[in-house]
Amino acid sequence: MIPSSPFLCVITDEALCPVAVAEQALKGGAAMIQLRHKRASGSQLFAWAVEIRNQCQKYQALFIINDRVDIAMASKADGVHLGQQDLPALVARKLLGKECIIGISASSLEEALRAEKDGANYIGFGHIYPTLSKEKGFPPLGTEALLNAAAFISLPIIAIGGVSLENASSLISCGATGVAVISAVSRTDDPARAASELVAALKRKKS
Amino acid sequence: MEHNKVQGTPLPHLYLISSGQENPDNGTLLLEQLNLLPRTMCCMVQIREKQLNAKQLLTLALKARGCHLPEGSRLLLNERIDIALAARLDGVHLPESGCYPDKLRPFAPNMIFGCSVHSPESLNIAAESGADYLLFGPVFDTPSKRKYGAPQGLEKLGLICRSTTLPVFALGGITPENGALCMAEGAYGIAGLSIFQDTSRFVDTLEQFYRIVSP
Repeated sequence: MIPSSPFLCVITDEALCPVAVAEQALKGGAAMIQLRHKRASGSQLFAWAVEIRNQCQKYQALFIINDRVDIAMASKADGVHLGQQDLPALVARKLLGKECIIGISASSLEEALRAEKDGANYIGFGHIYPTLSKEKGFPPLGTEALLNAAAFISLPIIAIGGVSLENASSLISCGATGVAVISAVSRTDDPARAASELVAALKRKKS
Repeated sequence: MEHNKVQGTPLPHLYLISSGQENPDNGTLLLEQLNLLPRTMCCMVQIREKQLNAKQLLTLALKARGCHLPEGSRLLLNERIDIALAARLDGVHLPESGCYPDKLRPFAPNMIFGCSVHSPESLNIAAESGADYLLFGPVFDTPSKRKYGAPQGLEKLGLICRSTTLPVFALGGITPENGALCMAEGAYGIAGLSIFQDTSRFVDTLEQFYRIVSP
């Protein structure tokens, strides 16, 4: 299911076509795609989801949908990613069943522990570094918080927020199983190449 | 057409849509309206609060489900079948741009699926994908829909009603004065939002409408 060796999750960019972003990310070696679009209509989301799910199957990558459990059910996604303002993990689990992947966003150890207790399959932990991709109401957590979370949490942790080629491997050293990015792939001249460079950086041992 | 899978008693003819102004922390207007419903007046009720996040919607849906509604009433949620399932509601109402009923029905075979339609084309799509009822509007001028242009009018309502066997609820600027005109065009029932927001006149308004829609 969730890769045990360091992997890249690419989250789609609201300003760009999610299908195009996903295609490039998969070409570059992303092991997980998260469709995240807060403003799209249900039928649009469903159409994108079906396309991205098919692409992911081709590349044997996981396909996750942000927030919309309904669209995940309809499109047979591999899972959902839920923020603290979305449906509670236990509710989603009951709807989606045991096999479905449920990821939970956590920005503190407390939230991460709750997610683990509620049966999440992975934790999205961040933001670790400053990021412009999303409006944040709190300062970056830093790698210390990641180390601390990784000491207590048994689930795979996906570090998010300000991930770059330079810092990706140190996030793995601090206990993350994977990293998630938006703009570090989508807002580059060659997103497939940006993704493959990130994947390579994740596999490099920190000197 | 064989897709009218509505379980139990026929759908009520009166359709109440929540204000869209519920505060994340309470949901008082909707709950007040639900608790005011006279025991003899079953209603379709759609919770439509797009400003709330999924967690808040679940809380509100559970509170609404906890209200003792008149027998035969149906409680629906706008769009989110996941939350409707979790709160054990009776169905979902899908906007014209929403996911199609046939993509969702397998996960909720006993639920009611309603669809908003604004044209004969979207009526066909909704009907073919297995909608249980349709909501058509705005029939008359209504402040909340002015930004989308002129109202559709009675003639188009009639056209829609005559081109389907599905129940069509008329929506938009409907009052006790013009409601009968909608029924004369073949509407199954009438739906309202703003007109039900004055809780001091709520039961009065309901009673007036009820007389119009009762077959």
